[in-house]
Amino acid sequence: MIAIEEIEKSFGHNQVLRRVKLDVPKGCLYGLIGPGASGKSILLKIIAGLIRPEGGRVVVEGQNIFEMPDIELQKFRANFGMLFQNYALFDYLTVYENIAFPLRRMTTMTEEQIRERVADRLKRVQLPGFEDRMPSGLSGGQKKRIGVARATVMQAPYVLYDEPAAGLDPVTSQRIFNLLRDEQRAAGSTVIMVSSDIERLLTVTDRVGMLYRGRLIFDGTTAEAQESQDPYVRQFVHGLVDGPL
Amino acid sequence: MSSAGSADQGAQDGEAPPQELGLVGEIGATALDLFDGARGMYSVLVRTLYYTAYGRREPGSTVHYMYEIGNKSLFFLTVVMGFIGMILVYQAGVQAKRVIPDLTLLGATYLELLIRDLAASIGALMLATRVGAGIAAEIGSMVVTEQTDALRMCAADPIDYLIKPRFFASIVMTTALIIWSAAVAFTSGMLTAYSFFEVAPRTFCNLSLIDKGDLIVGLSKCVAYGAAIPIVSGYCGLSTFGGSEGVGWATTRAVVNSSLAVIILNFFISGAGIFLFP
Repeated sequence: MIAIEEIEKSFGHNQVLRRVKLDVPKGCLYGLIGPGASGKSILLKIIAGLIRPEGGRVVVEGQNIFEMPDIELQKFRANFGMLFQNYALFDYLTVYENIAFPLRRMTTMTEEQIRERVADRLKRVQLPGFEDRMPSGLSGGQKKRIGVARATVMQAPYVLYDEPAAGLDPVTSQRIFNLLRDEQRAAGSTVIMVSSDIERLLTVTDRVGMLYRGRLIFDGTTAEAQESQDPYVRQFVHGLVDGPL
Repeated sequence: MSSAGSADQGAQDGEAPPQELGLVGEIGATALDLFDGARGMYSVLVRTLYYTAYGRREPGSTVHYMYEIGNKSLFFLTVVMGFIGMILVYQAGVQAKRVIPDLTLLGATYLELLIRDLAASIGALMLATRVGAGIAAEIGSMVVTEQTDALRMCAADPIDYLIKPRFFASIVMTTALIIWSAAVAFTSGMLTAYSFFEVAPRTFCNLSLIDKGDLIVGLSKCVAYGAAIPIVSGYCGLSTFGGSEGVGWATTRAVVNSSLAVIILNFFISGAGIFLFP
């Protein structure tokens, strides 16, 4: 379980997160939604320990990650996989080297085992034979899928996806969401997914939280989100033009 | 289900307006920024040294960066130092002839100046522009595309993975390039002295003024500059924010700050040299 307690974060005068409190149950696929600049990506990076908040705690498996020394936190991140909004593929490495990178850094697997695992991941994301390609030669959808392969290659218990379908066509987008859902079910991992593609996101999530101006204004099941009468949630989830947003 | 219903409050207490600082406030804010920068660079240096002892070895990466820093700077430095050698000896010869018509010690004093100060400082200033800009731009673009975050998610601290190999490569190649630069500047100076002042090359190649202190000071500068350039530029790259504009600013800051670091280090090492090896 991931417990986020009273998280606060500012950049200069801009307070991005305001006392955000959220529990993500084990094995849950949690969708984090909200308008642009509401703090979703920042919250995701805080959960991964990439950004330190000014206040609050993130407790993962009973440990407050911000009480860990840097070196320990670095090792603890082996429990996390993350897909970044801009893919964040290492542009100087091949697809194979990109996916193998976490395994080389965080495991003692042999080269043969790494090769097998990478081939399996590429097959899962339907890009077999792409090992020797460079990221610069891939389309947006292919980059996303390579990013998913890298995020899941460690088979980590916690996986964070930041806008996994941004900029993709509707078909590819739905395929990506289905893939992530299948991955989550197969591994039994706990997933937090940030996406602006509400329609497709809600087809795969178990629970949903909505951030608005740095505050968590909704936390409930996907069905509750769809039926919510809160004007902000209702307008955002149903994509209504009229409303308080 | 929980619906905090606090969105209105959120809307009302949005961003706090920036405060007017006034002159004293601006000076204070600038001083704090400078202090933060110095602390950040010190932190990068300390962590680089830590990872030197406890970090992970990346086979071939230091050699790769030695090629990037060294081989690709060779032509640039050769041309620059060749011209600087000619200009310096010509100007020194013209000035010296006004005072004493004897130029037999021109080569000896020029060589001492080169070894103790000029080769290292001018060469390092050139490297600060080329190498410093390259390091900051490369790391900065990795920051804005979240690649450094991806590295951290893979238990690879960017300082260990990106800066440490550049640090060692820079120390080795800065030293090698500066020795080469000194040789080029001396040779071009020798040819100038022969062409314009009829100083024979055998007279110009006079090592009588060079002592152990000159060599120690010169080599200390090579190592210090070689260490400073990747640390300062790496820090500028890692502190990039925003998009491509941020990368541009990081590159500019890297060149300015690396050059400044070279000048400041020159002052302190030269001062220590005068004190220890008068």
